[in-house]
Amino acid sequence: MLSPKRVKYRKVQKGRMKGNAQRGTEIAFGSFALKSLDTAWLNSRQIEAARVALNRYMKREGQVWIRIFPDKPITRKPLEVRMGKGKGAPEFWAAVVKPGRIMFEVEGVPLETAKEALRLAAQKLPVKTKFLVRRDYVA
Amino acid sequence: MKSVQIKAEVRSQIGRKDAVDLRRAGRVPVVVYGGNEVLHLSVDEREVNSLLYTPEVLIAEIEAGGKTVRAIVQDAQFNPITDRTNHVDFIEVTEDKPVKVSLPVRTFGNSAGVRAGGKLKTIMRKLKVKGMANNLPDFIDVDITDVNIGQTFRVKQVKIEGVEFLDAPDNVICTVAATRASRQENAAADAGGKKK
Repeated sequence: MLSPKRVKYRKVQKGRMKGNAQRGTEIAFGSFALKSLDTAWLNSRQIEAARVALNRYMKREGQVWIRIFPDKPITRKPLEVRMGKGKGAPEFWAAVVKPGRIMFEVEGVPLETAKEALRLAAQKLPVKTKFLVRRDYVA
Repeated sequence: MKSVQIKAEVRSQIGRKDAVDLRRAGRVPVVVYGGNEVLHLSVDEREVNSLLYTPEVLIAEIEAGGKTVRAIVQDAQFNPITDRTNHVDFIEVTEDKPVKVSLPVRTFGNSAGVRAGGKLKTIMRKLKVKGMANNLPDFIDVDITDVNIGQTFRVKQVKIEGVEFLDAPDNVICTVAATRASRQENAAADAGGKKK
């Protein structure tokens, strides 16, 4: 599963997820892509589940790019613990995804295969998505 | 280079509010520069999309206010969520000024590597070139007949008269990679040869 090798700070503040994605909104590598239409924290397990679904349908053909990385540590306090006494322990890693963000890109498979593979991958994600084709794509 | 005729209207007002109104009416604000004057125009979204949703670089013959300007797309902006065209920059094409464009790569020929079971991988779909608009080809044709498995075709191997390539000469345009099946076949053939 994806996670940073080393971080400067173990815990970070929650932050706010306002507005649309400003970067990573255009297809950069492949011919087909999956774009998020919602705002969410995508944890490393969800990203991995989507990747596995994608590769399984593509039968290890073609190439896949993951355009998001879970670099935000999310903490949780143990059950039945009173508030206070410091911040909880890091539980998992999440990627902040905003509307317009390209999450996955695919190349080297026919359009129909890519469409179905990305549909299956989208089912593993907690966001509404959209299938995209490169503007200058020729079948 | 092919050309497409586009009917445009001169924008009466410039600014964000006017641009939003134009988009709501199915038009796209565009700007044309690089000539004697800067033109602020609006174009029908479907017409301008015919220039953007294609690998080819097309010359737009923009008719506006009784004048016709020849231009090519310099930059385009899109809505990050709806992917509708927000704005397009055109650069005017003149007889005496060279233009910089990204021309699409088209491969032809039956590659020796592909015949041997390899897979053709196109790494650069477009090449940045500089030249006179009238001399530029529609596509950059790459002959891959001699490319074998593991070999590459580089920018420096393309020669077109009157066209200057702006990408690094050693950049790889395409390569024929060995597939898992071809590697297994080779390994099996090697093992068979050793036994004999």
